Amino acid sequence: MEYGMMFAILGAALATILSGIGSARGVGNAAQAAMGVLAEDSSKFGKMLVLTLLPGTQGLYGFIVGFLILVNCGVLGGAVPTFGQGLAYFGASFAIGFGGMFSAFSQGKAAVSGIAISAKDDRNFSKAMVSITLVEIYALLSFIVSLLVVISVSSIDI
Amino acid sequence: MKTVRIIALREDRKRLLEHLQDNALVQIKKIEKSAKGFSRIDMTSQMQIFEKNVNLSQQALRILDDYAPEKKGLLASFSGRRGIDPDEIGVIASKSHEVMTICSRITDLQKQIVDNAAEQVRIKTSLTQIEPWQKLDIPLNTGDTKTTAVFIGTLPQSYTDIELAETIAKANSKLEFEFEIEHTENSMTCIVMFVPISQKQTADSILRNLGFARPMSPTSHTPKEKTRRLKEKSKMLAEDSAKIKEEIISYADKRDDIKVTQDYFKIRTDKYSVINSLDQSKHVFVLTGYIPEEDCVKLEELCHRVATCYVEFYDADEDAPVKLKNNAFARPAQNILTMYASPSHDDIDPTPILAFFFYFFFGMMFSDAGYGLLMAIAIGIIIKKFKPDEKMKENLKLFQYCGISTFLWGLVFGSFFGDAPATLYNYFSGASITMADIIPWPTIDPQKDALTVMAISIGFGLIHILVGMGCKFYVCLKKKDYGGAFFDTGLWMMLLVGIAVLAIGAFSSQIVLYVGAGIAIACAVGLVLTQGRNKKGFFGKMIGGLASLYDITGYISDLLSYSRLLALGLTTGVMAQVFNMLSSMFGKSVFGCICMIVIMVAGHAINIGLNALGSYVHTMRLQYVEMFGKFYEGGGKEFEPFSLNSKYIKIQEDK
Repeated sequence: MEYGMMFAILGAALATILSGIGSARGVGNAAQAAMGVLAEDSSKFGKMLVLTLLPGTQGLYGFIVGFLILVNCGVLGGAVPTFGQGLAYFGASFAIGFGGMFSAFSQGKAAVSGIAISAKDDRNFSKAMVSITLVEIYALLSFIVSLLVVISVSSIDI
Repeated sequence: MKTVRIIALREDRKRLLEHLQDNALVQIKKIEKSAKGFSRIDMTSQMQIFEKNVNLSQQALRILDDYAPEKKGLLASFSGRRGIDPDEIGVIASKSHEVMTICSRITDLQKQIVDNAAEQVRIKTSLTQIEPWQKLDIPLNTGDTKTTAVFIGTLPQSYTDIELAETIAKANSKLEFEFEIEHTENSMTCIVMFVPISQKQTADSILRNLGFARPMSPTSHTPKEKTRRLKEKSKMLAEDSAKIKEEIISYADKRDDIKVTQDYFKIRTDKYSVINSLDQSKHVFVLTGYIPEEDCVKLEELCHRVATCYVEFYDADEDAPVKLKNNAFARPAQNILTMYASPSHDDIDPTPILAFFFYFFFGMMFSDAGYGLLMAIAIGIIIKKFKPDEKMKENLKLFQYCGISTFLWGLVFGSFFGDAPATLYNYFSGASITMADIIPWPTIDPQKDALTVMAISIGFGLIHILVGMGCKFYVCLKKKDYGGAFFDTGLWMMLLVGIAVLAIGAFSSQIVLYVGAGIAIACAVGLVLTQGRNKKGFFGKMIGGLASLYDITGYISDLLSYSRLLALGLTTGVMAQVFNMLSSMFGKSVFGCICMIVIMVAGHAINIGLNALGSYVHTMRLQYVEMFGKFYEGGGKEFEPFSLNSKYIKIQEDK
């Protein structure tokens, strides 16, 4: 049994699942709030859509890390990893998995408030949008750490 | 910006205001107190009538949309207002009364439909109430005869004939009675009972103890007859409603007239609200407003052409609004700027810088030649075909320029709908080539050279921030705040440059490294010496200076923030690649080909939607937080000229 491969695939799954959970909940919360606004004024759909989708990026980051692991670890291409490399993939997935999940939760909360203030006054929209993206930087940092590990694992001799 | 004062004869008031409104040159200033000898004319009652008409026509349009929806293309919302000749306004005005009659007719008809629907509900309730009595062949309100008392009603329990007879007999054995059960349900029995008139009191009390109740709505018809009548009435109502609906639909061709009339009343409301705020004497009126300097001559000509008047210009005061002037390249980004805040008088107009970096960063994040090309061409066609209004057109232009930038960045990153050309080639020939084999020029693959792209991203970030600080430097110089310019901004800029040189040196030569370190340390010392200059005492100054060095963390986090350029660029590329890979998984057959087309089209559509949005939002954030945070104050007022605030038409003056 190839333990390296096993851990790599576990890592791919973990990155996708955890960040997916986060984004699903974040977008879900935001969508609920947006729906309430739309019930009053359906012409705000465009703006509400933008604010609702903001916590959705973490899921994408997780998916990309998962995909890159699969591309590198012998499932969709690349060489079969050693045990050490498999663990490295597994470890890399933690960064975007947990960073993505918790930042998406928080971003969802920020998005709900952002929707509330832009429902009151359209001019608040850009301020709301920028404030919500402030949360995103932490997901980005996690993503970049995961990414840098994943693309360099195959050249590390462990 | 200039302040303008126009003094004109009252007889020219209407004509002059109309021309000002059509040309949208002046922002009218609301003055709180009239000058001596002048007064205001209250137009509120007329305005209320106009507003009522606007509301009525809006209602009528909504009703029309419900019954006869307008056939619109998906992209019709881009189309601009219809241009009309100034003379046409007269025609619209003369027809307005007729159109408003139609509008009120439509709303009346709608009210009838609503009333009919309510009546239908009432009929339905009566029908269900009468339902159990169908077998009864006397009216529900049949009264007592000379000799016999009649009880028609329900008992709240189910009985058979024998049970009921026993129950009554048990209650009072002396009562003579005759009854008939019309209907039994779970917890209800409908009965008709006859007793001799002499025993009416007894029977009444017995029945009351059993919970007897007379029917809710007794009628003088037999239940069957009543049901027939109700059904007939319901049918008539339905027919009536259908007829009314047809009449409403027959007004569908008046929709355009209603729209135009609505605009006409809106325009008049605006005009009257201006009249409301004018200073007027017996023969003349005074209008004060703001006007951009370049339009002064135009305004003066216009005024003298249409009215007998005196026009004078002053320098504008502190509260004057700001009108942004930019060339065609930067103008689309004005909207992004005003979404943040209009520049105040102390600010410089950062639109050109904003525009350049906006297009640049958007392109880098979206970074796909195919998507960029698609965006630029599609928007070009929309602008050509629908002729959108100025504001919408600028917004579309913004994305067109972003599309061009996306195209160029796509060439750098070697991505055309992800790796679609390579995937297709491999699919049909069975080879396994990559994009790098197809593209003749050297490309950077963000998946393989992530570190390089990250370094580039942060490099661009540094330039972006330095430009922002450069603006601050310039603003400070303009305000003659030399301390702010050289110590607060200049030293930090040099420090950042020094660190950048140091970083380059770390990868190239020792000398560059020392030079960079030298600059950085010198600037740091400079900062420690100058940043505490407003504090009291030697220690205050020293501590203030040292503490200011802590700001370096802010700059570092700003710089790291630009790593999103890499992250979002990668997201677009990888997603596109995933969809391409999925699409080629179904094998080489007719079925496989169909699957491929479907997955490719849908997949790339999703990818464009998600990542264009992401790129837009994150580009905006980089501008607002990282760059504007360095220098932009905002808080100015936007120039909003007195103009046609209409939805469907605009007036084209012949030039």
